[in-house]
Amino acid sequence: MIQGFFLPASIGGRYCVLHRPAMASGRGVVVIPPFAEEANKSRSNLAAVARALAAEGAHVLFVDLFGTGDSAGDFGDADWSAWTDDVRLAAAHLRALGCARITLLGLRTGCLLAAAALGAGVEADDLVLLAPQSSGRQVLTQFLRLGAASELGADAAARIDTRARRAELAAGRSIEIAGYTLSPALADGLEAASLELPQAFRGPLAWLEVSSAADAALSPAARIAIEKLQAHGLAVDAQCVPGPAFWQTQEIEFVAGLPQTCVRAWVGLAEKAGA
Amino acid sequence: MNAMTESIREEALDLHCEGAILPGVLARPAFVSAATGVIVVVGGPQTRVGSHRQFVLLARALAWGGFACLRFDYRGMGDADGDARDFEAVDADISAAIDALTDAEPAIKQVVLWGLCDGATAAAFASARDPRVGGLVMLNPWVRTTQGEAAALVSNYYRGRLLSAAFWRKLLSGGLDIPGRLREFVVNLRTARQHAPATRDLPTRLAAALAARRLPVLLVIAGRDLTGAEFLAAAERAPLATALADCPLTRVDVPEANHTFSSARWRAEVEAATLTWLRSQA
Repeated sequence: MIQGFFLPASIGGRYCVLHRPAMASGRGVVVIPPFAEEANKSRSNLAAVARALAAEGAHVLFVDLFGTGDSAGDFGDADWSAWTDDVRLAAAHLRALGCARITLLGLRTGCLLAAAALGAGVEADDLVLLAPQSSGRQVLTQFLRLGAASELGADAAARIDTRARRAELAAGRSIEIAGYTLSPALADGLEAASLELPQAFRGPLAWLEVSSAADAALSPAARIAIEKLQAHGLAVDAQCVPGPAFWQTQEIEFVAGLPQTCVRAWVGLAEKAGA
Repeated sequence: MNAMTESIREEALDLHCEGAILPGVLARPAFVSAATGVIVVVGGPQTRVGSHRQFVLLARALAWGGFACLRFDYRGMGDADGDARDFEAVDADISAAIDALTDAEPAIKQVVLWGLCDGATAAAFASARDPRVGGLVMLNPWVRTTQGEAAALVSNYYRGRLLSAAFWRKLLSGGLDIPGRLREFVVNLRTARQHAPATRDLPTRLAAALAARRLPVLLVIAGRDLTGAEFLAAAERAPLATALADCPLTRVDVPEANHTFSSARWRAEVEAATLTWLRSQA
């Protein structure tokens, strides 16, 4: 059963979709969307993941961050700390619904925001990181390149200069990219974001890559990031799901194995914590 | 529960369609709504939010202007339950949205369907069958046929390319596959010059849908969009030309805009054109 509603928050409500389980397990999952257009493109696949998790007993809550999706506000007024507050709000709502154990499930930039939320004191027991981006700086650069590319037309040269746009931001001016107004505040928050987790977070985490390569396997960058997390004593269940980069394909493409892989990883997190 | 701004309200409104729940959001004026309500029929790979939140911002602008506006995901899209479906199989979903909008706003006497791309075409199909629909706003309507696409490419895309500085820079720097591009051009030119097939293609079916009710239409075309160009080409020929001639038609061009109007400026032009037209229909 799904239900849409607005959660009251500062400066207008946050639109949420709640997937209710038939048999509640006391576990709740906050879905943290990726950045800009990726949030739209990935929604159908994430909804399929949410349905599969709800079938296993989870309360799954999508929260549209301030200025994104159906939530109040303009994208141009959003910043990173407002978004971590929204994750806090969503987690608190799940606790109010009786969820004793909370998972943060992020996709792409949503993983960076999950880490930031933990760093800001949001309490969660475990993490599911879907196709995580490990550097906010890289996210910002890619977004600025997208803007420069669309200005030059589809045949844009491979080497795209983002300096002019960075200069605009540095001068305190917002810029428009692919229909989104990016404020200096949000750019700063993104630039500083990383996957570093606070010492207080001890919970296990699942790291799921999505790759359309024939011999889909974890990327070298992912392996390095995972080893770093393990070196901090965190249990990491890393897997690769075969499928297209569904958050950026032109048409909606469903990754058939994604929902069940997520469910298995999510079930495994609680078992790890119990062991 | 409401998301409040000063003079509009946004409310979650979950629709029910043949056993599936379709999440929707209704934006409406805080006080009195006009007798015409608007439903956004989502097209392409989009959800009720729209690319760069186009539909969210449109709905807010319309509510500011006095018109209630409902957006929703049809079955199989975004958050909605059900199997993914083609834009030609969403009549029941649109009908459920009209039910929900008229229930939520009893003052609404007629509904305008607003659609972009194949959402525009789906809106026209639905209007032929539902007497509650009193008008259509169609942006870059989707009438893709193999010939039409090739013709639009030849007349619009290649001509634009030949005048584009970036194209020539790339050509001179050796960054283009010249023989490949030439082959592609020749194939497109040939396809464009073939005769239309005898089957009822999309322009013909759209013409039949428009002719069924002869509703007022606001047609908005982006100048830098192949889908829009293809529609204009199809609209010069029977039967679509005839059908459009019989509809009270208002046309607005946004010359610099791309397919999804991906800039605050272009979105604002679309919002203003929609509001002006809605008021002229009252």
